Amino acid sequence: MIEPTLILGLLILVIGVLSVAFVRPKTYIARLINLEIPAWGLLLIMLTYGEALALLTFIAVTAIGTFVIVRLMEWRDASC
Amino acid sequence: MIPVYSLGLLGAFASAGIAFYALMRETDGLHRLLLTDLVEVVTLAFIALLGTDLAEALILPGLVVGVSELIALSEIFRIKEGYTRPPADTLQIEVMNTAPPILAALLVIYGIILSGFSGGAVAGLGVIFYFLSRDPGERFELIETASGYSWVLWIIAFFIFMVFPQHWFFAVMLAGSAILVKVMAKMSLIGTMRGDPDA
Repeated sequence: MIEPTLILGLLILVIGVLSVAFVRPKTYIARLINLEIPAWGLLLIMLTYGEALALLTFIAVTAIGTFVIVRLMEWRDASC
Repeated sequence: MIPVYSLGLLGAFASAGIAFYALMRETDGLHRLLLTDLVEVVTLAFIALLGTDLAEALILPGLVVGVSELIALSEIFRIKEGYTRPPADTLQIEVMNTAPPILAALLVIYGIILSGFSGGAVAGLGVIFYFLSRDPGERFELIETASGYSWVLWIIAFFIFMVFPQHWFFAVMLAGSAILVKVMAKMSLIGTMRGDPDA
């Protein structure tokens, strides 16, 4: 029996990767927001196997990563 | 019936193929940086599919290396593209003017109750939020001093474990509170990143 969580996670992962790879409209912020979708799929896969520590660390690291990229965009807007 | 692991691998390989194809076609620098993030997520899925403690042990350092690489690459990219003028007005969010003291206090108190590594993470989150919303000023020396002393306490606790094993409870308490301060200090540094141009 395959767990429904895993199936859902894999589906969301593939859908999310498609949505980031072929993003419309092609702006930085749209791509950054779409990046949350495959991350959600990965979280569901981790949840299936009960990898709690990896899951929590991934959430924290994603938050920091988003912060770093938003900061880069702010600098870009100020200079261009 | 297809085995679970093969199905997962199929999905992960498909995702990786799409992600690398997009990376290959992309020419803009910042878009490529975002796609690198995507590739990281997809490749972590391969490891997560193992579903054992080994997977967890492999994911943790991978994530830490990933975020430090992202920070380094973004700085290099910023210098290379010549984005040298600091942003004039950052986002104005109302919640960030009113909520910080209460939220930070709640998170820090809850973190102290939890103690240890996870407590440090929770309390550190509170401090990050506070520093993000308020002007941090120059308190780096204070934070670094606290971090250094807590590191010493942590080492002392380990010596107590080895030399005086009968006092193990004291050592556990010492190590727990020391790592709390240590993790909190390190995490609070992230909150100050937004401030001045060189931060």
